[in-house]
Amino acid sequence: MADNIYDAIVVGSGISGGWAAKELSEKGLKVIMLERGRNIEHVKDYVNANKEIWEFPHRNVRTQQMIKDHPVLKRDYPLQEAVVDLFANEKDCPYTETKRFDWFRGYHVGGRSLMWGRHSYRWNKWDFEANAKEGIAVDWPIRYDDLAPWYSYVEKFAGIQGTKEGLEVLPDGEFMPGMELNVVEKDVAKRIREHYKNSRHMFVGRTANITQNHEGRVACQYRDRCWRGCPFGAYFSTQSSTLPAAMKTGNLTLRPFSIVKRVLYDKDKKRATGVEIIDAETNQTIEYKSKIVFICASAFNSSWVLMNSATDIWPGGLGSSSNELGHNVMDHHFRCGAGGKVEGYDDKYEYGRKPVGVYVPRFRNIYDDKRDYLRGFGYQGGASRSGWGREVAELSIGSEYKEMLCEPGDWSIGITAFGEMLPYHENTISLDPDKKDKWGLPVLKMDVEIKDNEKKMRKDMMEDAKEMLEAAGVKEVTTNDSGYSPGMGIHEMGTARMGRDPKTSVLNGNNQVWDAPNVFVTDGACMTSASCVNPSLTYMALTARAADFAVNELKKGNL
Amino acid sequence: MDRRELLKMVALLTGGVVVGGEVFLTGCTAPGTADVGFTPANISLLDEIGETILPATSSPGAKAAQVGDFMRVMVTDCYNQKQQEAFNNGLTQIDEESKKLNNKTFMESTPEQRKALLINLEKVARQQDKDQDTKEEEKKEQAEREKKEYEAPPKHYFTMMKQLTLMGFFTSKPGATQALRHIPVPGKYDGDYPYKKGDKAWAE
Repeated sequence: MADNIYDAIVVGSGISGGWAAKELSEKGLKVIMLERGRNIEHVKDYVNANKEIWEFPHRNVRTQQMIKDHPVLKRDYPLQEAVVDLFANEKDCPYTETKRFDWFRGYHVGGRSLMWGRHSYRWNKWDFEANAKEGIAVDWPIRYDDLAPWYSYVEKFAGIQGTKEGLEVLPDGEFMPGMELNVVEKDVAKRIREHYKNSRHMFVGRTANITQNHEGRVACQYRDRCWRGCPFGAYFSTQSSTLPAAMKTGNLTLRPFSIVKRVLYDKDKKRATGVEIIDAETNQTIEYKSKIVFICASAFNSSWVLMNSATDIWPGGLGSSSNELGHNVMDHHFRCGAGGKVEGYDDKYEYGRKPVGVYVPRFRNIYDDKRDYLRGFGYQGGASRSGWGREVAELSIGSEYKEMLCEPGDWSIGITAFGEMLPYHENTISLDPDKKDKWGLPVLKMDVEIKDNEKKMRKDMMEDAKEMLEAAGVKEVTTNDSGYSPGMGIHEMGTARMGRDPKTSVLNGNNQVWDAPNVFVTDGACMTSASCVNPSLTYMALTARAADFAVNELKKGNL
Repeated sequence: MDRRELLKMVALLTGGVVVGGEVFLTGCTAPGTADVGFTPANISLLDEIGETILPATSSPGAKAAQVGDFMRVMVTDCYNQKQQEAFNNGLTQIDEESKKLNNKTFMESTPEQRKALLINLEKVARQQDKDQDTKEEEKKEQAEREKKEYEAPPKHYFTMMKQLTLMGFFTSKPGATQALRHIPVPGKYDGDYPYKKGDKAWAE
């Protein structure tokens, strides 16, 4: 486009950026989507998608070289041979940990939409009301009813499999037929429902895996290799879903290797005029101009862009006039739960590898339940027969031992909790004045911790899991807390929260930066609280809603 | 989080796991040396140890899956220095143990002698690993409290050899497709699929 002028700039190409690009381009805007990393083309570049386990020299185990190259990623399960190239280069893109913070990033077209867990849940009405009712942080400027139609809108396009349960705590959506529970999960679910007199529930996790052909994508083939990129396009990602839709309009330009350095700001008009990028390959600085800017660079990087923008007016950056930019970091704390053995079902097994297990929605601090902490948690889990890695009683080597390992072992079931983390003003990210990345740009410094509310909740997260499984007849139930460090949930939220007052929030109820109404932030950065459900579906809905608002405002001449 | 990862966590929770993600999960401060220097004789020895653990039956055994060479690759690329040292010492120690029990090296022993030796070694290894785990518990908890990374000391060399044998065999092509059943593209899911004793497990 002549002189690098577009109607809209979208920063980032993950779940939120992809939606922004699709919505804006479908509404007729000329859009450029800027992605800091390399391109990954749908199917063609999923280099490991069709490899069998024996085709990986280390059978998907991490090597010492991988450990050396990924000092952060090595802290948890994502560091695996099959997906290692989908995570950010930590040497080129360092950050500072005032307190330990595990930041697992995807710097490429599609971002973490390629590697996400795909769980897709609506928030409930209480999630939007809790801050105001409990006097925590600030009130959300929107309510469930504002977002409900947008949830429907994005669910229909993304393709979410799930079952309608009629629960207030986890509102139903526009689902494709839900994947089946296995026989053990089904029976455990039934016993839990009976024991708790229909006040606790277990059903199939709701995920962005399609169970019917949809929008040119092929239904899930039950390979359970989503992480490596799906050649069938059976799970929602930028590549499988929003990018092709946006490209079809002819209005979208995708530019990889484009690190957005700052938003260009006209202080007289109080509007952004575009962005400045560094070409990650040539180091060239280039300006792009536009009427509106959607920042969807992932929670922390979206705030990073703001912090580096308009610093001549606000030293803390665009949106810092509230003193909230970079504050209120949230994640979901997890890695604790329980598991045990399920007797019987020796004549039952599974065929196919489903990419989802069970979900148990929140039951704490709702209706008449009252705990000594605020908010709650939900569980994800699943039942399966053990495989060759198991212990075999009385046998340790030899033919008989081998023959036993060639058969499946006993059934077991386990659930692990994902808990809500409160927004604490003092949990912050900020620019580190002393460290620069490969391109000479300042890096982020993380200072985040969980506090008493989360620690108290973790006891319930473990003990409730045990109690429920035991009530369902599961044997030898053991609890486990593998420890949690902020970031491990890979659900970073906050740092540019939405609110009702420019003095206490960075964004308004339409995701506009108060100080620059033509700049929208619609990814995890905008979150005012965290709920306990996986957040990506909410980013999709917020992004589609904000894009609709933005285009209407543009037409009215308000931006 | 992936169901696959969740199920791994469940397996760890429910105990009784010989080979789990935890084996390789911990970080490490002292990367291994690039060349651990396995000789062809070492590889043959490891093949035979593997074959004793998982022999050819109606399906191929560990040797056919080339677990000796697999162990070379894994020890060289994936083990840290302490693990490499422990594993390498094991290559000579196993012959010393063999001489004590059977008056010959492992390679010179009959299949029955080899089996007897490894059954003994497994008992010793289990006890030693268990004692070490108990001793390490406090250190591990302290590291967790202080949010520091914890690096477990190496397991007994036989534990490592057995873990690598299991992994090397069941994730190999003959292991996954002949000892187990493997369907690359199942195309559907049935959570109430009939099973009768003797049916093989699915490979991942």
